[in-house]
Amino acid sequence: MTFKFDKFLIRPLVCILVLTSVPSAQAGEAEFSADEIARIASHGPWPMPAKTDTGNRVSGNPAAIRLGYHLFFEPRLAANRRIACATCHQPGRGFQDGLATARGLRPGKRNTPGLFNVGQHRWFGWDGGHDNLWSASLRPILDPAEMGGDARRTVRLLRSQTELDCHYRQAFGKAPDARDEELLVNVAKAIAAWQETLVSPSTHFDALREALLRGDDDAVASHAPALRRGLRLFLGRGQCATCHAGPLFSNGEFGDIGVPFFVKPEGVDPGRQGGIKRLLANPYNLLGRHNDDATGDNATATRHLKPEHRNFGEFKVPSLRNLKYTAPYMHNGSLATLRDVVRHYSEIDEDRLHSDGERILKPLRLSEAESTDLIAFLESLSAREALLAPVVPPAVAACDVPLR
Amino acid sequence: MKSRRWRHGVWRGLMPLLLLGASSASALAACPPNEADGKLLTSGPLQLAWRPVLQGNTPVAPTAIPMAGHFALTVQLCEGSSASKAVLKKVDATMPEHRHGMNYQPRIGALGDGRFRVEGLMFHMSGRWRIEFEVRSGEDVLRLTNDVQIR
Repeated sequence: MTFKFDKFLIRPLVCILVLTSVPSAQAGEAEFSADEIARIASHGPWPMPAKTDTGNRVSGNPAAIRLGYHLFFEPRLAANRRIACATCHQPGRGFQDGLATARGLRPGKRNTPGLFNVGQHRWFGWDGGHDNLWSASLRPILDPAEMGGDARRTVRLLRSQTELDCHYRQAFGKAPDARDEELLVNVAKAIAAWQETLVSPSTHFDALREALLRGDDDAVASHAPALRRGLRLFLGRGQCATCHAGPLFSNGEFGDIGVPFFVKPEGVDPGRQGGIKRLLANPYNLLGRHNDDATGDNATATRHLKPEHRNFGEFKVPSLRNLKYTAPYMHNGSLATLRDVVRHYSEIDEDRLHSDGERILKPLRLSEAESTDLIAFLESLSAREALLAPVVPPAVAACDVPLR
Repeated sequence: MKSRRWRHGVWRGLMPLLLLGASSASALAACPPNEADGKLLTSGPLQLAWRPVLQGNTPVAPTAIPMAGHFALTVQLCEGSSASKAVLKKVDATMPEHRHGMNYQPRIGALGDGRFRVEGLMFHMSGRWRIEFEVRSGEDVLRLTNDVQIR
């Protein structure tokens, strides 16, 4: 007797296969509630709409962007002619350096922050000691521990290359002059104008978010289950999105998460408390005369700052985009891997938290599998492919001369 | 002749602004407050209506206050159908479950007719925020609170 696959047998088999495949195809939809999808939606869209810095009159100016690009990679701005902005902010590492703490002319005390998407930030630096990108860009150039630059050295550099000199004139309408007290601010504003163009690529998470919003179950299901479970943990029990909010996965503010603030060989890093003091004493803050926004509307945050006792030991909530490229983590680079970061939150030492601080921080007590899921989600916030060198902004027509 | 024409031109230019100001002032000063004045709180005869205003002077519902974005409030104080003589002394907000408040200090500007504008608020985390209005009415200090869920 031979077994025949007649059409009556095949049809029920096909139906069974189809029916059993439906739940897996719809796993994404079934997985997330409407409330969760609404919360996931708040982490996009990506990229965010571009912002112009109203405090920087050359924000978006092509000549300034080209000049800023060149100066960012220019080691001759530094006292030893060997350290550029890009020495610590390396494009292939998400504009980080892979070191625990930065190394300029002297060793630093804090981890180098990445620069992708800085045009969207409110505060700059781990302590938020700057309220604008150009002021934050000027500090390392002048800091004797970082680049140790000055106005004379900068003017020499600008005048040494026709292209730089020309772009400076095109951007600012005058020749670079060491006696011009605006010179260094202008240089920083040009570097800031270029940094504003650094937008990180979209990620697996962005693709998942879009699939959820358009109800594309197949596309949702194509994302790893661990990623989806990790996302649910991130939004739910982890309460990570309370601070790591919005498209940047940061609320842009500050928190104490129990990372030690002691600095070797002795001393402490006061974090946000010191940052507020530095900011208010800084002549380049948005309350000062170098702010190009005549309305002063862009200075709301600075004008209304409220120093608090709890600011001691608070550090900026970092964006979680591009995490894969920006290890090690935390303000002092003390956690080498994402697993270390997840372990930190899983076992957080409540005794280390400020007595006035955030009450919702509790050890998450994650299982090994949950930690792996959360890491899978965090990794999905990075570019899908290796980061490419930034696109060289074009020279403006009036200055289109070959680079030396 | 030239001077009269100049004055006429200035008045003609200013008139729409004055009319707009007068109409918006009367609309805002309407007592008792209505839905357009925002969320209504009461304490005895005092009525307090508050409404968030985003950058660009766009009024929104309390549920539309953006997380981690600065906003302002308009506040109207009424007693019955008259503008109250009470004074808004302080506005603050806290997250009761988190045991902290805002990172920013709001400032209050009096606009007259029981109207106030509060600048510089920001709710920097998602969750429940409690806004507290401190109002001085004669010798009394009244505290009115309202909870808002920020997503």
